[in-house]
Order: sequence, then structure tokens, then C-alpha cells
Amino acid sequence: MAANPDKMNKNTTEFTLNGKSIEAIGDETILQAAKRYHIEIPHLCYKDGLRPDGNCRACMVEIKGESVLAPACCRQPTAGMDVSSDNKRTVHSQKMVLELLLTDMPQQAKSPYTLNSELDHWAEKLDIYDPRFHQRNQPHADLSHPAIAVNLDACIQCTRCLRACREEQVNDVIGYAFRGSHSEIVFDTDEPMGESTCVACGDCVQACPTGALMPANNVALIEPDHKVDTVCPYCGVGCLLTYNVKNDRIQYVDGRDGPSNHGRLCVKGRYGFDYVHHPDRLTTPLIRRKEGIKTDELIDPDNLHKYYREASWEEALDLAAEGLRNIRDTKGPQA
Amino acid sequence: MKRTRGKKGRILGSAVDRKALAEVRDLLANEPRTRDMLIEHLHKIQDRYHHISSRHILSLAMEMNLPRAEVYETATFYHHFDVIKENETPTPPLTIRVCNSLTCEMFGAGQLLDELISGNNTDVRIQTVPCVGRCNKAPLAIVGSYPVETANKAKVNRAIFNKETECALPECITYAQYRKDGGYQTLIDCINGKHQPESIIKLLEDSNLRGLGGAGFPVGRKWRILREQPQPRLIAINIDEGEPGTFKDRYYLERDPHRFIEGTLIAHWAIEATDIYIYIRDEYTGCRKMLERELATLRKDPPCKLPNIYLRRGAGAYICGEESAMIESIEGKRGMPRLRPPYVAEVGLFGRPTLEQNMESMHWIRDIIEKGADWFAAEGRNGRKGLRSFSVSGRIQKPGIYLAPAGITMNELIDEFCGGMLPGHEFYGYFPGGASGGILPASLGNVPLDFDTLQAHDCFIGSAAIIVLSDKDSAKALALNAMRFFEHESCGQCTPCRVGTAKAVKLMEQNDWDQLLLKDLAQAMEDASICGLGQAAPKPLRCAMYYFPEEFE
Repeated sequence: MAANPDKMNKNTTEFTLNGKSIEAIGDETILQAAKRYHIEIPHLCYKDGLRPDGNCRACMVEIKGESVLAPACCRQPTAGMDVSSDNKRTVHSQKMVLELLLTDMPQQAKSPYTLNSELDHWAEKLDIYDPRFHQRNQPHADLSHPAIAVNLDACIQCTRCLRACREEQVNDVIGYAFRGSHSEIVFDTDEPMGESTCVACGDCVQACPTGALMPANNVALIEPDHKVDTVCPYCGVGCLLTYNVKNDRIQYVDGRDGPSNHGRLCVKGRYGFDYVHHPDRLTTPLIRRKEGIKTDELIDPDNLHKYYREASWEEALDLAAEGLRNIRDTKGPQA
Repeated sequence: MKRTRGKKGRILGSAVDRKALAEVRDLLANEPRTRDMLIEHLHKIQDRYHHISSRHILSLAMEMNLPRAEVYETATFYHHFDVIKENETPTPPLTIRVCNSLTCEMFGAGQLLDELISGNNTDVRIQTVPCVGRCNKAPLAIVGSYPVETANKAKVNRAIFNKETECALPECITYAQYRKDGGYQTLIDCINGKHQPESIIKLLEDSNLRGLGGAGFPVGRKWRILREQPQPRLIAINIDEGEPGTFKDRYYLERDPHRFIEGTLIAHWAIEATDIYIYIRDEYTGCRKMLERELATLRKDPPCKLPNIYLRRGAGAYICGEESAMIESIEGKRGMPRLRPPYVAEVGLFGRPTLEQNMESMHWIRDIIEKGADWFAAEGRNGRKGLRSFSVSGRIQKPGIYLAPAGITMNELIDEFCGGMLPGHEFYGYFPGGASGGILPASLGNVPLDFDTLQAHDCFIGSAAIIVLSDKDSAKALALNAMRFFEHESCGQCTPCRVGTAKAVKLMEQNDWDQLLLKDLAQAMEDASICGLGQAAPKPLRCAMYYFPEEFE
């Protein structure tokens, strides 16, 4: 939940970042404060809305007086703290972390599963290509789930999916199993995702920075020609979402930050959009033809025109209004 | 148990097997189902069935009201749990664990392993494992839980044939004996007001006693910090001795277990704590059973009102010797170190301020109180203060534990305590602090060995585990051994360590090391890893390149 702005801790802490004096507001971390000042620090395992975990170590900064570097995503500044994110030592660590992670990407190159890989974004910014290390043995793809493709060869073990599944959605399906370089994201007891207790809320997909978890059938590789910000058409909660549209077809959905959902969605909002393009969907008002007598039988959608004809909104509303007026006039206003 | 109906009414996720559930309930009996008991309960399943099947994982998850993913991720973290899927063959009931850490490798663990594998029958599983804490008797093979010292194929086969698969309980000073010799009197004096917490803390500060698990944080100062924390405060004692080359905790524990318990109870009194947790590595089976027995005797006839003392069992994870990883493990989770701050003293076990101490640190409390701060502080050489228990192994005549003055040099230690080098071996170098402490050449055999004295040489004394190398050894090969150990034991949480150790091993397996790349990698691992494992992991490789350049020519 977002904090009530009136109750938020508005105390500010002044500290120095890269020689510039800046202020952190309330409980902000170094990374959050830096973002407000448009000072870029690479980060991968951090995502707004998820508990910061500090495991990827891409956001390492040097704090004067401390022997090792600190993760900017987890550290809150104290007054007068002298922090560097752009000196030789910190940039060395940041780059090495990105290089190590890039080493274990498919083909040691850009993620083949998404156009918006955060690892690719930062690797490009910090000029990292052609990693110098040996690649790990890559796990196989898990395409058992109808809505979500699991390609752990692009996984950077940042556990954003786990925190989304366990701590945000409280679905408790995703785990981080095994140890060391064998550590792996698993579903339940390492079952194929499609056979696990996953309810397909898709929050893990939205959390994944590299495309290791993506909507099935590579739709995330489609560049949308436009995006439509709207409200989920299902229940009354009112989750905000964005439809990614190409050639007048919805390709995939992103949760959008709204008061009731903070970017999260359920299976219906995230994946239940195929009805939009269904041939049976009514897109114009219909008026029953005189000869289209009402029966108990379900109408065959292929023969809809036998019973109805298309009408304009004006005509349809006039007809409905006339019907209501007729009832009022003949049966009285309480009818 | 959560079940979700998928398409066409299919039940998603495996259903709980009634038989497995009954088996799990039978094993757990009346014990608490709280989260912190997860590892203890997994041990019960492993002990009974010699593996942990998916059926049992599901049942345990249901019984403990935990998500199955959390049970699974915890079980698969620990190497002593053999988690198998439905269609997999269960592991054979008997496992032979061959230690392949530094000293054992120097003494032929590789050959032993080959011989055992070549003559193996399928009833037995052979596994390589990291240091089992008996380096003075290298090489080691553990048959079941029975340690075969200076092992060879014949000895191992004899143990299997004779069904010697249980570690014997060490013959220690029992509770009755310890009391008879005046044990627990100091504790009683404390409780009866003969000492004040402040005076004891001052005494410890004056004695210069430092945490002997490796970090060397002054014990007195730690107790003082704890007293300033809000109550309730907890105590956690670390007997997860796993640094390759270290066996001092086992040495003291096997002989005189009540001495550290008394020290711990004095700490409990001094910092006004509530519960005490003791975490012992699973490799020390005999010690654990002995400790269980001694704690039971203590509870039966206590010298004073006792707090709750919980004995918790590790499950094969070096990283759980890291203080915050140990706390995670006691809480029943994967042993992944926490980020600091907050420090364990402020937010530790179950979120409470926690005094975590190495067992040996507590071993000396009674002596320091009875004999005075000077007794401890007056020892020491070359300007250093106190005593250190050195675990010495390798190419020396008499490997073992030596209580020697802090600041003694390697040359002095070899000559005065270790009976010199083995015949035909010339002193070549040494690991001053297990696998994490780096490697020094013989030319630096005159450096005082203590906390703070080795930093200038890019080394670190840690738990004072010294492995002596001779001209028959290769620093380059042993640095690779150390890096393989770190790769095996990395928890997998942070990138520099999880990925860095694996990449370093690959580079170090090449005949020609890419030294520039390794240095680049080492720098990031030291700077950016979460805990001491990743930060210390590159030390041996750095030292090998710096101090032994002739091996790379």
C-alpha cells in the first residue's frame, strides 16, 4: 500500500552523492533519492513496489568510511553521508556484475524474450558487450503453461518474481531452490509451471527484468503500435491497466499503478482479453427484427442477422426510450 | 492445502498422499509445527528414509502449514538432505563422504576417491564433501557418520563390512565430573551477586578476548552493546565450524562441553537474555549426541534456574557459519546471509537483539573470570595479547590443536609446537586462516599471527586454521581447490559470489590463468559480495598469483 501522503515521514536527510548535496525524503534509500535527482545508478533486483533485496549488486555505491561497497537500493542515507556511485571502484563493481550476468544470457547477448530487458538497458549504458567468461550450463525452457513462458536461460536469480508471487500476491508458488550457482527459480516442488498451483496472475511476468518469465507465444517481442491506458473490464475493484495494441489487436496487458492495484492484476485482467476480438462480440447496437420472434432457444450467433439488424446508437436508444415511456404511460410510473 | 482447479476441472499441483502424511505425522509426534522447526523436521524424514521425497515434502508443508515451495527451497539448499522426485531412484541408505578440502586433497583424497569409486557396489553412495573438521587425520572418509581417519580403501571397506557407520560419542568431562571439579561455581557466584555484569564485561574487555569464530570482534564490547538493546534479547552459539582446516571447536567440545555452556550461561546472566540457541554442524554427529545428553543431565540437576536451551542441527552448509546465515537457518530457512545494517546485535534471531558467539569464545569465559584478565592478556608474543587455538594441519610432524600465544610466527609454531616439517618436506607456504585467509609464502614465516597482523599481506587469520604447505604442494592447485570449495558453498544469493566463484573456477581450471581478468573479478567479489564468503573467496587466488609467481611461469 502506498503511504498516506499526510502521514508520510517528510523529514529530509541531506547527504552527498557524487559530490552533489541532495536530500532523501522520509525513508527513501540512496537509490530512490538518486532517482528523484535523475542520477542514474544501475539496478536490477530492485523494483518499485517490491521489497528491496539487494542481491544483484548492480547498484553498489561507496560510502566514505566503509570498507566494502553498499547496495544503494537497501541503504538509507544518514545525515552528511558521503556517497559515490560513479567513481572507479563502484563503476568497476557495477560493470563486473552486469558482465557476469550477461555471460549467462542466451548467446551472451540481448534477451531474446523481451524488448525491454533491464539487463540489456544497463549493459548498453555501461558499454558492456562480449563478456569474457564461460557460460553456465543453461536450463531448458518450460512451456507447459498456456499463458506464461518460462525461459530460465535468461534468469539472473534476482528473485523479483519470487517476491511478487510470495510477498505481493501471496500466492506462494515460486521458490528459490538449490544452492550457489545451481540456485534456480522453481514452481512449488520444481514442477513444470503448467502443473503447479500457479493461478496465472502474471505478477511474476511483470516483475521479471530479463524476459525469463514472459507471456507465452513471444508476444512481448511485438512492438506495440499504441498503448491504451484503461480500467480492467471485469470486477468492480477497478484495477488500472494498459493494453499493448498492434494492428488493432491487443497483444498483452501491463498492470498500471492505480489506487486499488498498484500495478498488480489477476488472471482475468492480465490474460482475459481475447473476448475483445471474438467474432460473437457485439460491437454495434442491434434491434430485433419484426419476424425475429423471441423463443427459449439460444440464438445461433452465425444466424444473428435473421433475428436482429444493426442500428445506430441514436435509433437504438430512441427505441429503448420509447419502450420505457410506453410502459410508464400505460402501467404507471411505479411499474 | 491449496488446490486450484485448472482448465477442465483438472487439479493443479500434486495432491497430498495420505500414507506420506501419516508417516510425517508419526515422525513429528508432538513437536511444534512452527516454522523454525522446519530443518529439524526435515532431518527426521532424512534420518528415517535416507532421502526426502516429494510426497514427504507435500505432507510436511501441509502439516506445518507452509507453502510447498518454501519447504522445497529450504530442503534443497542443504546438502545433507537428499530431495528426490517421484520418479527418481532413492539414494542408497549408506553414504561415504570423502573430504576433498585442502588438507585432505594434499594427503591423497583424490586417489582415495578414485579407488572407492572403482570398487564400489551400488548399495553405497560415494560423495565428495567439503571439510569435515578432522584435518589432523587427513585424508578423511565418513562412512555413514563414522569417521575413518587417515583413510584408505581397506579401512573404509572394513568399516562397511563391520557395519561401523555411527560416530561414537566422545569421552568428555561429564556434568558430574565438571561440577565436582568446581564447574558452574563461577556462574553461581555471578547469579548470587558476587560479580556484577558490568565488572564481568570490564574484565572481558581488559582480557582482550576476541570472537574466535574468525571475525575477531571484541567479546566484552559485544556484550556491552547487547545490554543496551531492548529486551527480549537472545543468545545464539555458533558451532558450525566449517572453515577448511579448522577443528578447534570440535577439540574443545569433545573434551569439556560444560565449559562453553557455563560461559554461555554467564553471558545469558550478564546481558539478561531469554532463550539460548546452540547451532552445531551436522558433520559433528558424535558431539551433537553427546551435547544432547549433557544438556539433558544439566537440565535434570541444574546449578541454577536454567533458561530454555535449544540445540539446533545444521544440515551441511558452510555458509551457515556466517552469523546471519546461521540465524536464518535456526529460523528454518535457507542459510542466506542478511544484509547489514541492521546488525545481528540489533536485529537478530526472530528479529530480536542477539548475542551470537563462537563456541570457543565462550569456552574461555570461566577461565578469564577465575584467573583474571591478565592471565589471558599477558600471553602473547611480538606485541600481541592473548592466546589462540591454532588448528594446524598439513606437512608437519604433529598436526593438531595448539593453544599458543597470539602473535606467534609460523616458523615458531612449526618448530615449537608442530615437531617440525615432515621428513622430506621443505616449508613452502601456508594458509594462515583456512580457505578464506589467503596463502602466504615461507618467506613470510616470521609474520606474527593474530587478528589485524595479516591485513598488510592481503591475508586474514580468521579461525586460526593453519595449513602448512611444502615443496611438494602447489599454491596454484590449492587456490583452485579453495575456489571450488567456495563455489560449492556459495549460498547463491548475490551475483559476485554466486556467479563469480563459478566463473573463477572455470578460469582457474585453465593451465594458463587469465590473471588480469581474475584480478578484475576478484576486486568486484571483494567489494560487492554480501558476506564474508564472497569477499574472502578471491584471497587464495590473489595470493597464489602474487606470492608464488614462479608457479605461473
